[in-house]
Amino acid sequence: MSTPPPPAHHSAPDDLRAAVREALASPATTATHASRSGLTSDLTIDETLILHSVEWVPRDLVIGLSVQSVPSAIWSWGSGEIELASRAHARAFEHAIARLHAEAVAVGAHGVVGVHVERRILASHIEVELIGTAVAPADASAAGGTKVFISDLPARDFALLLMAGWRPVALAVGASFTYAPRRAVGAALRQQTQNVELTNYTAALYTARSTAMERMQRAALDAHGTGIVDVTITEGPLHFAAHAIGFTAWGTVVAPAASSRTIDPLTVVSLDDAVSSFDVAPLA
Amino acid sequence: MTDTSKDLPEASERRLEEIEHGLFTSDLSVNEFLLVKEAGYHPLGLVMGSSIYHTGIQTRKWGESQELTKLTEAMYNARELAMTRMEEEASELGADGVVGVRLDVNYYEWGKDAAEFIAVGTAVKAEDGVSRRNTLGKPFTSDLSGQDFWTLLRTGYLPQGLVMGTCVYHIAHRGLGQTLATTGQNVELPNFTQALYEARELAMTRMQDEASQLGAAGVVGARLEEKTHQWGSHTIEFLALGTAVTRTTEEITLTSPVTIISLDH
Repeated sequence: MSTPPPPAHHSAPDDLRAAVREALASPATTATHASRSGLTSDLTIDETLILHSVEWVPRDLVIGLSVQSVPSAIWSWGSGEIELASRAHARAFEHAIARLHAEAVAVGAHGVVGVHVERRILASHIEVELIGTAVAPADASAAGGTKVFISDLPARDFALLLMAGWRPVALAVGASFTYAPRRAVGAALRQQTQNVELTNYTAALYTARSTAMERMQRAALDAHGTGIVDVTITEGPLHFAAHAIGFTAWGTVVAPAASSRTIDPLTVVSLDDAVSSFDVAPLA
Repeated sequence: MTDTSKDLPEASERRLEEIEHGLFTSDLSVNEFLLVKEAGYHPLGLVMGSSIYHTGIQTRKWGESQELTKLTEAMYNARELAMTRMEEEASELGADGVVGVRLDVNYYEWGKDAAEFIAVGTAVKAEDGVSRRNTLGKPFTSDLSGQDFWTLLRTGYLPQGLVMGTCVYHIAHRGLGQTLATTGQNVELPNFTQALYEARELAMTRMQDEASQLGAAGVVGARLEEKTHQWGSHTIEFLALGTAVTRTTEEITLTSPVTIISLDH
């Protein structure tokens, strides 16, 4: 961009707080420079070209960020779902998506592609950062009226979807955190030497999983999509809390576009060097 | 839809009902999604099966190579439970098969000696309405990616099921005398070689047995994984995994592939 931002004030913390508050109050105002000729985007040259080939152009790099605090005591004791955590997670995504959306609207974009989802779950807060490139059809009147979409698909996947007669609609997120049940000491001792399924743990995980998936599906239905592709699933223990399980899923909601087209794949053999290697675990 | 769903936890049934209303979910990438569509299949939903399993204890002899049958059994059982639950979810959706199956093992801090076995995949259904279920009448499973699935169908094969064979093997330690005798020499260590050979053979044979039970013509994409899990360095699980396939009756003409030299790095 043409001019570097003014140096930040390091002197008084009051100024800093005011600056943060101001930035939070109007996240969209940072994007008003779209009227200028320059543009920022994190697309590679290939991606920009492929975007142009389907007659879309990048508008600007847009960001949505939200940090939600959670009481750190909630992670260790209890049973069933950790609702505070699930709710904070949902809210963090909701706010981040809303800010991303506002920035995209401000630059006159019709959608955001290649959204990187940076998420951190810590004992005291949940942090969500979304960065993507706002895009619009080259001919602004072409797709007028449709809602601004957000998608974590890279630009090439976006172009491929358009070519195949589909369109991205929204980013759907679902999460659920739950307490792992504790086993009775007696049962644990009895089962010490046995092969046995731990049904209460299995059931707890199933609940977390289904709840999270259901929330994601609900979001997709609300966005009037026909499906969710490229679902990213993160699941497993949380490193700071031994007795909490987290399950999150997010993906891009897609719907058929007005014009239906099909792809015609071609079988190709790449002549690049294929390197195959294997290693055997060393014996101590 | 089917009575097999009795074993499924209640929560997952609610989720599956929602999928039946027309929404599909899938962890297939866009490429894979479009290829699966092109191959004449429609993704129905992400299906999962999981089981948290406590593995028992088996004593091993320090200087003896042997299969640890109890642990082998545990690995089999736990994976079967996960796979079967995934298949049940797929049946519930009326799917013809499950593609892109991943098998994972998770360890939790709270579960000593316990591990979570997970199977995740995308349930698909043929768009022409002809059932593509396997010879046992169940949805086929396959760990092939969308791309591989498309290519496989093009060459006139149908996946039958994800087949696996496992063997947990304890490899003997070498005695002090042996170690001293071979110090400074180039020499093959026959007891190690033999033990690894036998363990791999057992795993591979078991996988092939599963494939022949399905009446498969062969196993594609087979791979052998070695994991020590949490048993220390001398106890290894050998896991053979692959997709059993059969020939379809349709006449197939293979298109010759286009050769390209990609300019990427």
